[in-house]
Amino acid sequence: MADPQPPQQAARIAQQDEADLVVRAAAGDRSAFGVLVERYAGVARRVARAVLGNPEDADDAAQDAMLSALVKLDQYDPRRPFGPWLLRIVANAATDRRRRRTVRRVEPLDAALTAGGPRPDTTAERRALGERLRQALAELPERRRVAVVLFDVEGYSHAEIAAVLGIPEGTVRSEVFHARRRLRALLADWKEEA
Amino acid sequence: MKEPLPFDHRPDALLGESLRRALDPGDAAAFVARVLARAAEARIPSWDAVLARWARPGVAAAVLVALLAGYLVGRATAAPAPRPSVYDALLAPPAHPGEVEIVLASVIGN
Repeated sequence: MADPQPPQQAARIAQQDEADLVVRAAAGDRSAFGVLVERYAGVARRVARAVLGNPEDADDAAQDAMLSALVKLDQYDPRRPFGPWLLRIVANAATDRRRRRTVRRVEPLDAALTAGGPRPDTTAERRALGERLRQALAELPERRRVAVVLFDVEGYSHAEIAAVLGIPEGTVRSEVFHARRRLRALLADWKEEA
Repeated sequence: MKEPLPFDHRPDALLGESLRRALDPGDAAAFVARVLARAAEARIPSWDAVLARWARPGVAAAVLVALLAGYLVGRATAAPAPRPSVYDALLAPPAHPGEVEIVLASVIGN
């Protein structure tokens, strides 16, 4: 864990430019690396989960990617945004892990989803909707999954997603479009059922 | 629910929030702590790792020094005797008289 920082110092560090944080992290500054990890932990874990499905595998992949990025920090071009550079490493780490995985582990479905019975409360409804969304995501091609998560959940632009996935911007638009069509249909059905 | 458009540049807030909840891994602090702990472990090299990192250049340097020392010692102990001049060869008493006569005959013949 990073050394505890006073709140003012932590806030000051958080406001600093990411490129500066990267330079300091590459030089061995643990607090700078800690800020980067805190800032990107959420998106890295969500992207990895979009690829892998299983949350434990996703966390392992996200962790591997963060540590790999730490080793490769000297290769990062500070003139470019840090997020897409890191997320490309995350997506690759998740894809590699998925390929290495011999037995696909699937999370058990929520009872409310499989039984189709009455939903006891909002929390259960949300959990069931989450299960259905994750299932719908899993049915999409991997690139499509990552594209829609980066666009609609994380707010990255098409150009940034193109940099993450290594594909043309037009292809990103197409992937987002097709993913949205599938997921929106699922959400619409869910609202009607509710 | 609005109809999807091929070039819709705006993120879909409803879909985004639903997906965020569906993919939410939870316990961010534990994850960050785990990553930073692993990073700290990776940055503190053990003695084995230090020795292993220096082993290859150390062996290479030792081989180089040994080769250089062998060359210098060999050159010092096995220095060739100075080559005798033609004058010395002609005046020195012949170890094998027959050979010297052949040599002299060929020189005179030229």
